[in-house]
Amino acid sequence: MLKTYPLETDRNGLFDITEMADRALADSGVRSGILLVSVPHSTAAVTVVSPWDPRGFEDVHDEICRLIPTRVDFKHQHDTPQDAAGHIKAAVVGHSRSFYIEDGKIGIGHSQKIYFWEFDGPRRRSVQIKVLGIV
Amino acid sequence: MQPTPDDTIVTQALNDFLIQIRSLGTLVRDEVPRIEPRSRSVLATPEIYGLRQIVLAGSGDSYIAAACAAPAWRAWTGLPVQAMVSMEASRYLDLGQAPRSARARGLLVVSVSSSGEGARLVEATHRLRALGAITVATTANAGSRLGLSAEKVLDIAIPPSTPAPGVRSYAASLLGLYLLGIRLGEVLMRYTMDEANRLRGQLGELADPLSRAALESEQPVQVHLERWGSFDTADVLGSGPALGSAAFAAAKLVEAAGVHASAQDAEEFHHLNYFVDRPQAVPAVLFASARAAGATRSRELVATLQELGRPHLVVSDDARFAPAAQQLVLPQVHEFFAPLLHAVPAALLAAYAAARRDAVHYRGHRGPWRGAQGAGLVRNSVIELDP
Repeated sequence: MLKTYPLETDRNGLFDITEMADRALADSGVRSGILLVSVPHSTAAVTVVSPWDPRGFEDVHDEICRLIPTRVDFKHQHDTPQDAAGHIKAAVVGHSRSFYIEDGKIGIGHSQKIYFWEFDGPRRRSVQIKVLGIV
Repeated sequence: MQPTPDDTIVTQALNDFLIQIRSLGTLVRDEVPRIEPRSRSVLATPEIYGLRQIVLAGSGDSYIAAACAAPAWRAWTGLPVQAMVSMEASRYLDLGQAPRSARARGLLVVSVSSSGEGARLVEATHRLRALGAITVATTANAGSRLGLSAEKVLDIAIPPSTPAPGVRSYAASLLGLYLLGIRLGEVLMRYTMDEANRLRGQLGELADPLSRAALESEQPVQVHLERWGSFDTADVLGSGPALGSAAFAAAKLVEAAGVHASAQDAEEFHHLNYFVDRPQAVPAVLFASARAAGATRSRELVATLQELGRPHLVVSDDARFAPAAQQLVLPQVHEFFAPLLHAVPAALLAAYAAARRDAVHYRGHRGPWRGAQGAGLVRNSVIELDP
């Protein structure tokens, strides 16, 4: 079963999509297996971050911008400098994450949530979630 | 009764003009997707980020297209953008400036000319390139003197049409300027890529309103001309992008009908041509979008024209803008793109005014006007390359 959820980003940075994953898992009825979260975009990614300090989100996003700053001299110039940097950030972070499912729960800890990471917002995006396993 | 040769010429000229006007919708539908990818590759991203000032230069219709587009470019890029006639750009911009100065590299000169052969613009492009500016020829003729004098070319070539005072070439110039302006704002990240694509989409979606406007404007334009009777002078008014539309309408009235028509800003009219004697003999055409930045002044101008007793036509996009009997209502589009729609009634006014006066376009390039044959007057002017 593949579920697709729309997501409208209003900025660059992290957007909590854990609830989407919980919903997809609940709809599937799977008790044990694998849940894959994927984004069909080349300037966005999926990651896991601690949710407890909101300033921590800024740290995470600031750091990738420090590592891969938006520059005007990227060779990819078809779109914008932010888009060009976004391609690299997305390639480094990755467009999907998989999680084990046990006892009908996603295998993430108390200080972990799943995030959509926008590198070229605001944009209209979507999140795809695939659940495989035993009901 | 057999038509005289002149009747035949006038009828043929009207039909040729109408064919051009009616083709604008198709032109926009076909050319936006062709020019758009070219507009992406004209300037490199580092060049765009180095820009500090932009000049959109041209003469005649090309200058008018630049004047129409300049306010949109200002909004999209956030940079100082000036539409400039080619004489100003060629002889009055590089005075006292050191050639090849690094500071001049921040100047972008977009030289607009469909033929690419106007001597003054070729001269301006040579001189400003020597100054160090980034020069982009926006032309239908990349191999022209302009194309060869500029550092870069934005190709706006379109399929040929019937001979008439330029309407399609003007529309192509507007498309080239709009698409390049949108591109600059996008790369400068003044808005998102989605928003840039929305602007491009709005431009492409003008195809249907343009076709509709051509169909629905022909009869009302003829009714107004009939009402006005014979006239030898006219004022064409507007503000912001619509001042460009006014200039285009005035240009077509001069070229096609031989009427002494002049364009004036809605504010300036109250200072100047308001005082013209025999107001009943001088029709006025006002181009005004109801949501334009200058709309309140244009509304006041409608009242002024009524009080003066001026025969007038208001080309707007809101039925409440002026009394119905004096108004031609076009589909509502963003103020920045309205000049494309305005080109329809502007050209129709000129086409039918010429037919009513039995006027041959450009006076047939005969008699005292023979010097304009082959555009010799504008192509053969002496070019001065040194400041």
